[in-house]
Amino acid sequence: MKPEVITMNINGRAHHIALEPNVTLLTTLRDLGYTDVKCGCEKGDCGACAILLRLPGADSAEAVNSCLVLTWQADGADITTVAGLGTAEQPHPLHSAFADTGAIQCGYCSPGLIIAAKALLDRNPHPTEQEIREAIEGNLCRCTGYGHIIDAIRTAADKMSSGKGGAR
Amino acid sequence: MLPKFDFLRPNTLSEALAMLAEHAPDVVPLAGGTNLIVEMRDGHRSPKKLMDVGRLRELRGIRRDDGHLVVGGGTTISELLAHPLIAEHGLPLRQAAGLLGNPLVRNRATVAGNLANASPAADTAPPLLALGAEVELMSKDKTRYLPLYEFVVDVNKTLLQPDELLASIRWQVPHPRSAAGFYKIGLRKADACSVINAAAMVVWDERGLCSQARIALGAAAPRPVRAREAEAALLGQPLEAGVIEAASNLAVQATHPIDDIRGTAAYRRRMAQVILRRLLTQIAESQASGRQQS
Amino acid sequence: MSRYTAKQLPPTNLPELRQIGKPLRRVDAMGKAVGSTVYAGDFSLPLMLHAKVFRSTQSSALIKRLDVSNARAMAGVVCVLTAADVPNAKLVSDMPGQTGQKQRTGSDVPVLASDRVRFYGEPIALIAAETLDIAERAMRMIDIEYEPLPGVYDPLEAMKPGAPILHPPDNVVARWKIRKGDLEKGFAEANHVVENTFRMRYQEHAYLEPEAGVAWIDERGVITIRVSTQVIEHFRSIARAVGVPQNRIRIQGTMVGGGFGGKEDVTVEIYLALLAKHTNRPVRLVYTREESIFGHSKRHPYVIRHRTGVKTNGRITAAEIEVVSDSGAYPYLSPYVLLYTLVMSTGPYRVDNLHVDAATIATNNPYTSAFRGFGGPQACFAYEQQMDAIAERLGMDPLEVRKVNYVRTGDTTATGQPIESAAWLEETATRSMEALGGKTPERGPIKVGQGFSSYFQSYGRIMWLHDTSQAWVGVELDGTVTVRAGVPELGAGQANSLCQIAAEVLGVPLDRVSIYCTDSAITPLSGTSTATRQLYMSGNATLMAATNVRKVLLEHASKTLAAEIENLDMAEGRAFVKSDPSRFIDLPDLAKGCAAEGSHLASLAMFKAPFKDPIDPETGQGPVFPDFTFGSYAVEVAVDTETGQITVLKAAACHDIGRAINRAAVEGQIAGGGMQGLGYALMEDLIVKDGVIQTPSLSEYLIPTCKDFPTTTVIILESGTGVGPFGAKGIGEPSLTPAAPAVASAVADAIGIRIHELPLTPERVLAAIDGAKK
Repeated sequence: MKPEVITMNINGRAHHIALEPNVTLLTTLRDLGYTDVKCGCEKGDCGACAILLRLPGADSAEAVNSCLVLTWQADGADITTVAGLGTAEQPHPLHSAFADTGAIQCGYCSPGLIIAAKALLDRNPHPTEQEIREAIEGNLCRCTGYGHIIDAIRTAADKMSSGKGGAR
Repeated sequence: MLPKFDFLRPNTLSEALAMLAEHAPDVVPLAGGTNLIVEMRDGHRSPKKLMDVGRLRELRGIRRDDGHLVVGGGTTISELLAHPLIAEHGLPLRQAAGLLGNPLVRNRATVAGNLANASPAADTAPPLLALGAEVELMSKDKTRYLPLYEFVVDVNKTLLQPDELLASIRWQVPHPRSAAGFYKIGLRKADACSVINAAAMVVWDERGLCSQARIALGAAAPRPVRAREAEAALLGQPLEAGVIEAASNLAVQATHPIDDIRGTAAYRRRMAQVILRRLLTQIAESQASGRQQS
Repeated sequence: MSRYTAKQLPPTNLPELRQIGKPLRRVDAMGKAVGSTVYAGDFSLPLMLHAKVFRSTQSSALIKRLDVSNARAMAGVVCVLTAADVPNAKLVSDMPGQTGQKQRTGSDVPVLASDRVRFYGEPIALIAAETLDIAERAMRMIDIEYEPLPGVYDPLEAMKPGAPILHPPDNVVARWKIRKGDLEKGFAEANHVVENTFRMRYQEHAYLEPEAGVAWIDERGVITIRVSTQVIEHFRSIARAVGVPQNRIRIQGTMVGGGFGGKEDVTVEIYLALLAKHTNRPVRLVYTREESIFGHSKRHPYVIRHRTGVKTNGRITAAEIEVVSDSGAYPYLSPYVLLYTLVMSTGPYRVDNLHVDAATIATNNPYTSAFRGFGGPQACFAYEQQMDAIAERLGMDPLEVRKVNYVRTGDTTATGQPIESAAWLEETATRSMEALGGKTPERGPIKVGQGFSSYFQSYGRIMWLHDTSQAWVGVELDGTVTVRAGVPELGAGQANSLCQIAAEVLGVPLDRVSIYCTDSAITPLSGTSTATRQLYMSGNATLMAATNVRKVLLEHASKTLAAEIENLDMAEGRAFVKSDPSRFIDLPDLAKGCAAEGSHLASLAMFKAPFKDPIDPETGQGPVFPDFTFGSYAVEVAVDTETGQITVLKAAACHDIGRAINRAAVEGQIAGGGMQGLGYALMEDLIVKDGVIQTPSLSEYLIPTCKDFPTTTVIILESGTGVGPFGAKGIGEPSLTPAAPAVASAVADAIGIRIHELPLTPERVLAAIDGAKK
């Protein structure tokens, strides 16, 4: 099938890209330079490629595995990757909490995890530990044993709900 | 890399059905893609055409329609998990939804996709069988309803015709004097394919005796099965330990499991009895405590 | 209330340090958090080609015919290489990046198989194409015909006469033995003899980042490889395999998305180098998850038999241990993994009369090599369960029987090496068990049990490999500090620790220290990120270098501040007089002053581990490792006796790590390593049938999610007696070693049955329960 132009808003920037249908959103995002979206399995088993996806007409964004979305399915969508939440100079509370709580070791799972955590906190600003675990059960981490990650999400939740610092 | 395909993007349900009629049998509907994209990547399927049904508003929504609960086929597993109507009138389905995959997958996977993919281990199938669900199959010219039990025929095989969409699933609102539940064994505590699963719904009469029972097992046969011998053993009986034990022992008769990487046939046969006994015991506890569902 | 209470610790006099030990934000953390850190698969170069590796679909076969002409002819295919194109491409597989090591027969791995394949997944051809899609389609155009050969898939079978031979003359890749004391006399003195055999299966590393890299030929003709690796010293063996001088290959290691030993051997870098050289274009190679699982090494399956003589009071009088491991199709690091098992075969217990016979055997199974613990976890599963079995036979408490036998500082290991650092065994065991608290009540078919394990695990490499590490530390004229070291950062904080050490010594905040690392051409070589050696080796090298620079600075400051050097200190970016801190000089001014006088504001230091000779081949006696870490792991489990499922209710780990450099990093390693050990114990079941992996993806090979295990209670003890900087020991591998036996012990406590195999899958547990009923 001939390539068509797909329009997406990624981290606040508009993109128009011509491509054939058989390309996943993960591949497209990385080809566009969003290498903060990681590839771990391409099957939805690991969560490393998680992004926030808001399809046209949807009320809010959802955390999804970008390896299981065709780019054509994301036409007109708003997409947020971990780099879209903040920068090293102006980090999101989740960035700071992860960096400060020992939640990052090799860092390969961190982008997807932070996205899953953001999706959780957007819906549930005061999650219990159980709710945190449920929200990130699709994000595999091989390094940390998850303890510091849960601490980091709680720390970020406290900071965000108290209205203090960091990019939204 | 995915094989090449044409991608059809209907804006409405009637457009979608017209496209299916025109392009059948070369076109496969794509909803969440959590199975189909994986299968295409692994080289197990290469449809010539995919049709995106993920944006069709008509396929979304959960509503109560007189005495029925109706769930649009495009409803995601996350939506099932969150919706109050499912909590109230479809508890085993809600329990299964919480144990299916993981949240990232649930945000995309749909109930129609789970049923139409027809994995023997599909987690939404036994609950819907226990609820006595039927599927609405729509094509351009007609709509038909099939009991779910008849719809799934074999491993990855259903009666869905190439020009049809699984538009919705519906079941009768469970009787106030009933309780239901879902139980799953997986090899880890989250994001695990079922080694075996089960769902059951029991209705009882004014005397507390079982007047209707539906018991379904998954990952125990090429398709999800009703454990009819076990159901029959409950009829007219109180949900006591001895009755539950006897019924559970009959569950294995419904199973035709295989050995695979997740478990042996022998283990599955043995667990059919264990998980059904536990499920029925939970249901009995719900009955005793006066709650409608477990 | 737990039945154990913590044993009091001896007094330690650890000096107060300003930044060492603090859970400071790591230098690599924020880049990883915001996604700006670039991993090996994130690079893109103009005109880059995309590579694929064509692999064997037979476990044991001759290649009768290989025809790549159709693939070569495809539009967009730039290069297809087979063994015929690179006949000299061989890798020494038995030790990463070493010089002058004696090679074993058959230890060289052909980069591409020529006439014979010995394992499913063995590389046969390389493709480089304009797009990944074209490369994938070209794979299907390769025409190959195999003639299957009989294969052997069980090491015990492979040892028998008549078994198919992988590499002549036989399948015995290596043997080690220990002969110590008088075994017969020891058994004669025993009141009881306890004998058990333990079996452990594979483990897959399952790092989140599959193998990846990109290579190009730079403007001077140097083959440059950006790759996710634990070892940049592989440039030497790659140079030889590719046929270029060693100083014309450059490896720029990236931040590694998990290694655990799986990226310790050469992975994609050799293919990248060959394709870059043959095409003269940049080439990218990134494995899919399945290619990763099929394509790299695994943890060794082991069979270990213990026969132990004990007195009624629990004292071990004799031990006979037999070890067999599955080396797979090529040796790789099997001989050394076996050596680790040999050294740690008895566990941290005094055994005066000891025979150990260990062999690692070739099969047509996936090849096995390094994995966190390197033969130590397997040894531990066996020796700890054996100790529990002994306790059961004697009717003794498991801790009591251990206390009778625990080594103490000054005692010797199985190879006769004196233990020089603290051996806080009872201290750690009691603390990990105490942390579990009282037993959770049982309910119906759910039985609850608690168990612990004690262990010791080496840190630092085998001393006859003459390990060294270099680090360079310098002060810039603005008072910031630069560290240059070859160290690969795997995520454990290897790079950050060096920065934190430099920060401490030079008195600057950690965020004023920058590290350039992992470049074989321009950073001093620090050796491998393996064997729990980086903190010990590179930490010490950094400490030396930073101390040298500090000396230069303080000599200058003593003149400027008119104070004795002993009365000076450095902190918060300045040098100051200890007795009068109002007299100080800021580091930028001090640095400029030194520079003006021609003082050297930088130092390159080399730290050398002790250089020893190999152990005696007959007795197995001699020192092997620089030192050992001691500790314990404890768990409480619920066993569902109807389904066989095991739930870990509580987990606690207590390790004496010598001295923590970054407390959060240490906690993270203990929690993460422990969880990898719990996965090894319970759910990581790599199913291999006739040499073919049946579970090649992460929905089939299951690693722990965040819901599988509770958060581990981490108890850190600091004896300060390690040989690392500031008395540090090592924790990277030790954190994993004790987890599986603790689980087995707790399961035995719950159901009264000891299961001697891993993993403890539900079906295996049920089978054990059924077996006990009969």
